[in-house]
Amino acid sequence: MPEKRISIHATRYDPEHDKEPRLQTYDIPFSDESMVVLDALNYIKSHVDGSLSYRWSCRMGICGSCGMMVNGTPKLTCSAFLRDYWPRAVVVQPLNNFPLIRDLVIDMDDFMHKLKSIKPWIIRKQEIPLGAGEHRQTSDQIDEFRQFSECINCMLCYAACPVYGLNNEFLGPAATALARRYNLDSRDEGLKQRLPVLAESEGVWECSFVGECSVVCPKGVDPAKAIQQTKLDTTMRFVLPYGNRE
Amino acid sequence: MSTSEANATPREYPWRMPANWWTRSRHYFWYIVREFTAVPLALWLLWLLVEIKRAGDGPARYSPHGSAPFVIFSVVVLLFSLYHSFTFLSLAGSILHFKLLDRPVSASVIVMSQFAAWAVASGVIGFFLVWLGR
Ligand code: SF4
Ligand code: FES
Repeated sequence: MPEKRISIHATRYDPEHDKEPRLQTYDIPFSDESMVVLDALNYIKSHVDGSLSYRWSCRMGICGSCGMMVNGTPKLTCSAFLRDYWPRAVVVQPLNNFPLIRDLVIDMDDFMHKLKSIKPWIIRKQEIPLGAGEHRQTSDQIDEFRQFSECINCMLCYAACPVYGLNNEFLGPAATALARRYNLDSRDEGLKQRLPVLAESEGVWECSFVGECSVVCPKGVDPAKAIQQTKLDTTMRFVLPYGNRE
Repeated sequence: MSTSEANATPREYPWRMPANWWTRSRHYFWYIVREFTAVPLALWLLWLLVEIKRAGDGPARYSPHGSAPFVIFSVVVLLFSLYHSFTFLSLAGSILHFKLLDRPVSASVIVMSQFAAWAVASGVIGFFLVWLGR
């Protein structure tokens, strides 16, 4: 029986030599039904073309570094099975909406700045001394924010968001979801410090609810929900007399 | 190689949103349809203001605009506004979260109650309009 093969069209871009990105085709063996797109890229890198650049680390949907466009949809390539595409070819491109550094590697600096701006850590007015023991939470209190804490910063939601693609000043899905994660944490007292970033026009109000961020999120974070809830929260704080409380 | 050349950051390829981005996925397409339905809706509401102004001239001189194209336009606009109401009320379940007897109310119950409230409000308003118009 002839060996089963699959075509991978991968974006190549060498900033030193290329004017713009182009697709290069690799025809590789599809030997094992459990192969994922990342395995195909690793095969190409090890056996065909060592110059192909892309990011990856954990191979198990945890580190969030292997996000790419697979046949036009943002995916974690370590969780995208080739069997779901075969016998069609698989087109692997860098995530949409980001500047391209090389081949499949995007520049995430913009997100890093945004992430820092929402202060994704627990803010206390007064730190509890270490000697006072742990700061306890009930499971109900954890359930309040658990979903939003699952984010792995994979950027699939930013790649799926046309609002961010058109205006990268928009704070965007994951940063808002993480802000909400800390705002809902019973140990946190940093809401007032995060609100100016969230409530400005390029914050949550730039979102016009396309909803695609939540569709592509591999961790079920539902950033669209975080954004809409934050809109409601900021409005309530504005209109209700007691809304400005901590 | 000069020092400045050696230190130069390699050229990044900037992202450019293609003009046809909204044709690239079914979701994007329906999103754009939803956004654009607001335009005829706004036009219809502007026309309503004109009608209200005309009604101010008194019942004797007022006859509502009821040409066939306008009626068709109104029905289409009604469908658009129902589409907006549907998406808005379906969202409520994921946005609102509150507790009843110390247990979180499920999203589907919130959505169903929103739709029920919508139906009751439409019924009450419809009843008053018919009653006042008699
Ligand atoms: S919200 Fe989801 S899609 Fe966005 S970065 Fe976090 S895990 Fe990835
Ligand atoms: S390699 Fe870590 S998430 Fe895919």
